[in-house]
Amino acid sequence: MSPEQRSVTITVDGREIEAVEGEMLHDAARKGDVEIPVFCYEPKLGDPVGACRMCLVEIEGIPKLQTSCSTPVRDGMVVHTRTEQVKHAQSAVVEFLLVNHPLDCPVCDKGGECPLQDITQGWGPGQSRVIDEKRHFQKPIELSPLVAIDRERCILCYRCVRFSQEVSEDAQLQLLERGDRTFVGTFDDRPYVGPFHGNITDICPVGALTSYTYRFRARPWDIEQAGSVCTLCPSQCNVSFTVRDEKVKRVLARDNHDVDDGWLCDKGRYGFEMFSAEERVTEPRFKGGTKVEWEKAIARAAEGLRKAGAGKVAALVGDASNEEAFLVQKLLREALGSAHVDSRRAGGPGRDTIVALSQPNLTAKVREIDDADAILVLGTDPLHSSPILDLRVRKAIRRNGARLVVATERPTALDGGAEAIARYAPGDAAVFVDELVKALRGEENVATPLAETLKEAEKVVVLWGERIGDFAQSGLLNLAGALKIAETGGAGLLEVPDFSNARGLREAGCLPDAGPGLSEVAVPGKGTEEIRAGLESGEIEGLVLVGVDPLRDFPDTAAWDNALNAAKFVVAFSTFATATAAKADVLFPLETHAEKDGTVTHADGRLQRVRPSAGRPGDIRPGYLVLSELAEALGLETGIWSRPSAFEALTAAVPFYGSISDSDIGGKGIRWQETAGAERVPASAGASGEGSPDALRAGVSGDPSPKSPNGTGATSLLLGTYRDLWAGPITELNPPLKFLAPQQRLEISEADAEGLGLVAGDKVRIGQNGSSVEASVVVKERVPAGICFLAEGIAEGNANSLLNGGPVRVGITKLSEVPA
Amino acid sequence: MADPRETRILLDKAEDPALATLEGYKRLVGGYATLEQAYRSMEQDEVLKELEDSGLRGRGGAGFSMGKKASFLPRGEMAKYLCCNADESEPGAFKDRELMQRNPHQLIEGIAIAALAADAGHAFIFIRGEYDAQADVLDRAVAEAYEAGYLGKDILGSHRDLELVVHRGAGAYICGEETALLDALEGKRGNPRLKPPFPAVQGLYGGPTLINNVETLSNVPRIVANGADWFKGFGTEQSPGTKVVSISGGVRRPGNFEVELGMPLRELIYGLAGGPEPGHEVKAFYPGGSSSPVLTPAELDLPYSFEAMAEAGSMLGSGSIIVADDRVSIPHMALRTARFYHHESCGKCTPCREGTNWTVKMLERVVRGEATPMDLDIISSVQQNIMGHCLCVLGDSMAMPVSAMVNKFRPEFEEVIANAGLDPHAVVDAPPELLGAST
Amino acid sequence: MSPVDGPGIFNPNLPVDRAVTEGRVPPRAEEQIPELHEVGCPEELRERIETLMSRYPDRKSASIPALWAVQERYGWCTPEGIRQAAAVMRVTPAYLESVASFYDLLHTDPVGTHRIEVCTNISCWMRGGDELLDAFKTAAEGQDAEFFVTGFECLGACDIAPMASIDQRYYGPLEAAEAQTAIDQLKAGEEVLPAKDLLKRPLAADLPGGSNG
Ligand SMILES: Cc1cc2nc3c(=O)[nH]c(=O)nc-3n(C[C@H](O)[C@H](O)[C@H](O)COP(=O)(O)O)c2cc1C
Ligand code: SF4
Ligand code: FES
Repeated sequence: MSPEQRSVTITVDGREIEAVEGEMLHDAARKGDVEIPVFCYEPKLGDPVGACRMCLVEIEGIPKLQTSCSTPVRDGMVVHTRTEQVKHAQSAVVEFLLVNHPLDCPVCDKGGECPLQDITQGWGPGQSRVIDEKRHFQKPIELSPLVAIDRERCILCYRCVRFSQEVSEDAQLQLLERGDRTFVGTFDDRPYVGPFHGNITDICPVGALTSYTYRFRARPWDIEQAGSVCTLCPSQCNVSFTVRDEKVKRVLARDNHDVDDGWLCDKGRYGFEMFSAEERVTEPRFKGGTKVEWEKAIARAAEGLRKAGAGKVAALVGDASNEEAFLVQKLLREALGSAHVDSRRAGGPGRDTIVALSQPNLTAKVREIDDADAILVLGTDPLHSSPILDLRVRKAIRRNGARLVVATERPTALDGGAEAIARYAPGDAAVFVDELVKALRGEENVATPLAETLKEAEKVVVLWGERIGDFAQSGLLNLAGALKIAETGGAGLLEVPDFSNARGLREAGCLPDAGPGLSEVAVPGKGTEEIRAGLESGEIEGLVLVGVDPLRDFPDTAAWDNALNAAKFVVAFSTFATATAAKADVLFPLETHAEKDGTVTHADGRLQRVRPSAGRPGDIRPGYLVLSELAEALGLETGIWSRPSAFEALTAAVPFYGSISDSDIGGKGIRWQETAGAERVPASAGASGEGSPDALRAGVSGDPSPKSPNGTGATSLLLGTYRDLWAGPITELNPPLKFLAPQQRLEISEADAEGLGLVAGDKVRIGQNGSSVEASVVVKERVPAGICFLAEGIAEGNANSLLNGGPVRVGITKLSEVPA
Repeated sequence: MADPRETRILLDKAEDPALATLEGYKRLVGGYATLEQAYRSMEQDEVLKELEDSGLRGRGGAGFSMGKKASFLPRGEMAKYLCCNADESEPGAFKDRELMQRNPHQLIEGIAIAALAADAGHAFIFIRGEYDAQADVLDRAVAEAYEAGYLGKDILGSHRDLELVVHRGAGAYICGEETALLDALEGKRGNPRLKPPFPAVQGLYGGPTLINNVETLSNVPRIVANGADWFKGFGTEQSPGTKVVSISGGVRRPGNFEVELGMPLRELIYGLAGGPEPGHEVKAFYPGGSSSPVLTPAELDLPYSFEAMAEAGSMLGSGSIIVADDRVSIPHMALRTARFYHHESCGKCTPCREGTNWTVKMLERVVRGEATPMDLDIISSVQQNIMGHCLCVLGDSMAMPVSAMVNKFRPEFEEVIANAGLDPHAVVDAPPELLGAST
Repeated sequence: MSPVDGPGIFNPNLPVDRAVTEGRVPPRAEEQIPELHEVGCPEELRERIETLMSRYPDRKSASIPALWAVQERYGWCTPEGIRQAAAVMRVTPAYLESVASFYDLLHTDPVGTHRIEVCTNISCWMRGGDELLDAFKTAAEGQDAEFFVTGFECLGACDIAPMASIDQRYYGPLEAAEAQTAIDQLKAGEEVLPAKDLLKRPLAADLPGGSNG
């Protein structure tokens, strides 16, 4: 309770209840264990609408019954919820709701977990007087490829429509027609495809909206719910797996206000069929795909790495728990005497910057977005990189009047809500940050419009993307200074990293120049790009890959291909049989978040527990055990043979995790900054100086003339790339999500389209330095002239193949013959 | 040429088409003199006081004091709005149409003066989309008023601005409900909002908003010109002023008549409207539009005022009388009434959406003879279940008249059920000469 | 006879100050609001909608007038027309369709060129509204592309019951036989039922015949 909220006492059914002034009567009553039935009320959807009329109660002094969902409590209020008058109203409303409801419960997926059933039983009339024909709709029909809608069952609470309006703000799902002809639908009956639309199946109080992935798969008494954390993106949403016969059948949100606010993106919700995908690696393999026994595989891996020799092995870590990450760096540093370990897809800042940015008073927590006065989105599009934060920012603007400013290369989904937008050229984030700092100090420059808004705000939350690069990240420290972030409660920086558990990986020691707990290391090792160079030059011979796929996800595919081929010995841990995994001499399976047991650390410092919820397919073993055995085979006794011992070793090695116990983490996690250990975070050396724009500007490289046969008339544009939410194996390997797998599209401005003689839909080849990809043209109002965008990480035409470490120019040629 | 029983104030000189022009309005009735006086020399509170003292009650249905409502608007710098409710869609009501078509400038002047009282800088006339011809008249009049400097920036050098937009609806009765009107004006589906907050505090675009009916606002210029006492000289103590009453249905001279409130109903129905066809009698009538519980001939001698109608268990509402003569089948009339509300229910809240639908289905069975007297009990009980449980009063607007009809004419309902197969139209076979004098 | 502006009437524009609550463009994911260059909106329609938007403190207020403009241009609110209006207004097409489908006068399915709404509500019903509707239906039978005939709830003209609204103008009291006349006149492009035009009708008490007590 914040200080300005006053506590009041109300009386409900004779019971005195302490409540907060202004909270809704329904919520206050619940604190006193008085349950008032509701259908339309769902505070997460915004202001109450008072539509279903289920929650009518009697309030002394007011002649008409009032909806408790929309009546704020006042001190001394006397309320009755079980008088004859109220019972009459409640049973009338239930009767009305059933006038048109088909009562097809025996064949309804919601049966057994249906609020309409429960409320009818608890508050309904107990008999039916309706003999008239009910309204009919075609049913069930496809609302989207993932969600079926049965309009006959719909009770028009319009929760789903409000979700689309007030939460995801896509405004695609609407009420159509009027009165009792009203139905929920989309424009021109087109499918409702939004990245969050699966949430409507969670909030529908009847069986009107059901997921195709769960229809007729189980009855409520066959299933168990198991809580875990989704690690498919950095949002780390809390999920609850519906498990039947050891298999995940459904993913539900597990409301954690500090993390996800009770929502899930569709990737997290529907991305569970990949748990049993054919492409999964379910046992150790040797190169060529031969399946081998665990003991043999471990022995071979140990031998190969040992042969590579001390100091000549490198490790890259991506999809891993804190414990696994800790073990990998330990294995490298202590068993193989090598410091070449990194957890970033390209370069990153040095330890000084990371330590400085890790200071507790600089990090924003997720819920601080809610109450921010202003939000700066810098170098990231949350919708694609951490979708749940997109919802969070929208909520802050819509509900609490936060002011948004956006500075990115590529137009973002949040642009429409921004007061000021800056677009900088790919690679120029550092220059922009520098300008913004100067603008905040009073200089007039391109960043002034953003600075104006930020200056008027007290609590500023900066959401920044890891991809802004190392210079810009050190620039963040100046920005934090100019915004007085360290001194202001509720203000902070919040990173949107590339890897889900990026913060955990770094804090567990997976950095070339920092050990566990961001400790200083005597001799720094090589970072990702130097490792690649080292492999190519033969300086590094052995490589351990844990949950990374450089051939898909890292810039400069050709160089990585060379590097992997040059490597003498590669050990890979991978969930799927990817192109990278195929290069491994020894391939180990990796658990998913439905199987893994361990902790992860959110970008805001929250440690959460991923819990095994479903059975491990095939012969998969826990990652920490495999790593521990591998270490032992290399002569290093880790003492880690169980999950608790792994966690203990981690917290012992990371001082600022030191005072956290399993029970502290519990179901909702805990931020290390809020524990006693927080003071043990290494001290920061202070902010770096300001750079001159030229020093900050990354040199553009690349020969834009594509070496393609029909490469005449090519014009060059600066290339920006982005990671689409739907790019990657999760989409490709989940049958229900396949339709979302992005095709390569070249996004260009109207001016450039005209200049190049291109129209939307044209097929083009985009080339750079001998590599090229094909794409179809999309013209976008908000793409700045001179720049174009391509998606990375997709199956066909991955833009990573055009990148080479810095910004590049690309040539574009229209394909004369359009492939049919 | 007015009927001597009429008291034409709002419709003064309305027989002259020139009244619809700015020039005619000034020449015939001295129009805009009050606006000039108010903008040149009156303070907000002076105007407010005159309106409050006059006792002018809203003519849109609820009959709430106009001056009082205007005084509820908070003071301060925020943008405030005035909305004129010209949605007039309740069956039986057609008075606003007449007032806008014949005397648009009176409404514009009233809006401008009321805007002064409400300190509103933006005003809107929300007119139902069907009234296209009347909206054209208003558009023309608004353009004239802008031209003459009665609207726009710095009106008559008063440093006050008023922008007035004629906003056409698109066919939905519910938009007459004031909060639904606001949603419609904001470009949304016309769904009523939860109250509180009331529009006076948080209305259009979240700003304080005064909403009044066309006739209410049309009264404003003369009240401010002649003073509250002059106004109170007409009508009854609790229902001061004149009222344009729409009378239709089974009468020989249907139309709008402007009379002092308090005139006996018999005088209205038989006197002004000519009563039913010779040889026929009044069987029942809605005294205040289709949402008012029907009254019977026994109540014909009541004075037509807000208070007398309320006392009789009905209401004056918007002042629209629909007369059913002895040829009208009450169960069929109940069905027509219920169908209307079913069609117009916005669908947002459960009791109204489902209750209107269910009632229609049951009444359909009644007139088809597929019901039992028990169904009449269920119909009554369903009306009880609707009343007081809805988000706005549309649901009650069906429940009240339908339950009045079932209760007051139950034997006829039972008879209809028994004599299955009655002509579903069951209309009066109206002779051509009855269809109006213009034929 | 445009439902949006009066014939040739110039309605002065309002200043566009952003409304406190609704002024901002809703943040959107890509592709949800079509971009103008994608929809092929006729210039004239775009300008019309932009003028309409400029009249209100919040541009969204123009949604009903914009849909009227679409309907006027295409005869009904076609999906393409809705997309065009949505692109100009920067709202989703779904939003506009939702609004259009709420209102009886906006058609989200094709209708005939001439729209005839016959009142069948209480007062008109008492005086032959149902028969009038039947008469219009018969007269217009088989000519759906030209005539859209529908029963309608109270049109606010019970004084001229039974009545009909023909292309947004009121006529009454009508005899059933006049339905055919009206249809013929519409086809011939003649003035429709001049003697029954509401705009030409005096106040009830001023009707020839004077007061009848
Ligand atoms: C369903 C419904 C329809 C209404 N329709 C109208 C209407 O068409 N015109 C009107 O002036 N008031 C109508 N009202 C009343 C308005 O809500 C509001 O009370 C009125 O406009 C206030 O103006 P007044 O105080 O001047 O009467 C309606 C109310 C309801 C509940
Ligand atoms: S589909 Fe479900 S959530 Fe949506 S309105 Fe109907 S009942 Fe409510
Ligand atoms: S829960 Fe209160 S009205 Fe629906």
